[in-house]
Amino acid sequence: MTPAASILLLTTATGFGYGLLAWLGAYATLGLLPLERDRAFVITGVALALLLASIGLAASTLHLGRKARAWRAFTQWRSSWLSREAVASVLTYPVAIALLIAVLRGGEGGWTRVLGFAALAASLGTVFCTAMIYASLKPIRQWHNPHTAPDYLIYAVFSGAILVALLHTFVFGAPGTAATVAIIAAAALAVIAKGLYWHHIGAQTPLATLAQAIGLPTDIEARPLDAPHFTENFVLREMGFTIARRHAARLRRIALGAGFLLPAALSALAALALIPTATMTLALVSAAIGLLVERWLFFAEATHVSALYYGRRI
Amino acid sequence: MTMLPKAQPGARKLGLVIDLDTCVGCHACAVSCKEWNGGGEARMLPDYDKYGTNPDGVWLNRVHSYETGAETCSRTVNLPRSCLHCEDALCVTVCPTGASYKRAEDGIVLVDPEKCIGCKLCAWACPYGARELDEDAGVMRKCTLCVDRIYDESLPEAERQPACVASCPARARHFGDLADPQSKVSQLIEERGGVDLLSSLGYRPTNKYLPPRKATIPVTAAEPQPVSSGGIGTALLQLLDKALSR
Repeated sequence: MTPAASILLLTTATGFGYGLLAWLGAYATLGLLPLERDRAFVITGVALALLLASIGLAASTLHLGRKARAWRAFTQWRSSWLSREAVASVLTYPVAIALLIAVLRGGEGGWTRVLGFAALAASLGTVFCTAMIYASLKPIRQWHNPHTAPDYLIYAVFSGAILVALLHTFVFGAPGTAATVAIIAAAALAVIAKGLYWHHIGAQTPLATLAQAIGLPTDIEARPLDAPHFTENFVLREMGFTIARRHAARLRRIALGAGFLLPAALSALAALALIPTATMTLALVSAAIGLLVERWLFFAEATHVSALYYGRRI
Repeated sequence: MTMLPKAQPGARKLGLVIDLDTCVGCHACAVSCKEWNGGGEARMLPDYDKYGTNPDGVWLNRVHSYETGAETCSRTVNLPRSCLHCEDALCVTVCPTGASYKRAEDGIVLVDPEKCIGCKLCAWACPYGARELDEDAGVMRKCTLCVDRIYDESLPEAERQPACVASCPARARHFGDLADPQSKVSQLIEERGGVDLLSSLGYRPTNKYLPPRKATIPVTAAEPQPVSSGGIGTALLQLLDKALSR
């Protein structure tokens, strides 16, 4: 599948935004929000989360053929995960704003806990819907599997933890133990999840053979002779993308290193008070680059059954 | 509404039956499809870089040619590929806007160009690569089974069939009601063992393909040449024999 810049930006930015909101919601639910010292943490946190979510949603409209009609995407939530994502992402805004109001007016009261839990559920729910858009596509074996949804949730939780630690560092001078532990645990989980995913897609067999695609018995060997057209058409531009194995291997190392390992190490250093603001900022930059590479690979390594008709490997 | 319609008793299931045995791969169906859908009631099917080095455009029907079998007895199979109007059409249920829909009365899968936002998700959901984006209008295009021909009562009855079927010079394409066991198309499927493309993916396509008939051309290995063993005289005689039997 051809990686589209708008979709890479959408899923990465919303991963950070909703991940951050999920952590703020979790802190609020557990009564862990650092309120007694400075309220800037929670105010900036909610604002940043909504800003990132908005950037992601704005980016998502860039790849639409008819942007002015985007509102129609809210109507088919009964069957379409894309529509569910649209509904869930917009529902998250009032919940986040209500949580902020509850925190500012009532501190750690019952409303804060309830709305905190609602914000946690709404933001993770949105990420889940995003993942299910890909997981529900049967012609793409690298997406239509049980890894996709949990993996997206893990990456969102990881990227949210990075932002929580960064905010905490800027407001209180240190990333805080809870966020540092969360980053290291989520990074470990993410590396394991990515490894399991790559093992899974490496062990899969193609969904079909060319013979099955053209309705012949499976024991017959078929080879392409003449294509219907000699330039790339929409189907090939969109779904015929192939990536060299050598490039993929290198990019996988970059995704793991820059995405998860380096940010975890940097946030540990920040927790040990080594120029915390600089190291945490570096951790964020590294994680963002790594996650964009990871998302690029998620598309580039995915193959679509329809490419079989053109004799491409799937 | 992008929920699939509930099965109605007596509903028709309009579709195509394509004979891979007789298809000669002439692309007439693809060209007439392009012509009808560019000039009929539907909006133009766009072309890009028409006279340039990378000509491209939207086609709702594409003809591939494949070679099958072993080297001594291989054969060409031509495969016209278009929307199969699946019963479990994932392209319909993934649509976020309700633009993609399957008609309850005849099973035709259509895109409402007034609702489509061009998100391309339906094209990703189709294993047959049957949907192509109209990059000028920003909406998805697909085979309509010539819904603007087959119900047009101003046309003579014989012409109320999809353009691809009407134009096929090899009579390899058949149009009809696949829900009616007495219809010509159903009988063809019964007789010839019509199959689904990519049946393992579970989309339950309406269109069926009739497999190429089993044909084997007898091939016998060349007889071994007698090895000359009689000296120069025999060799000369053999040469003479070869020259005379030319």
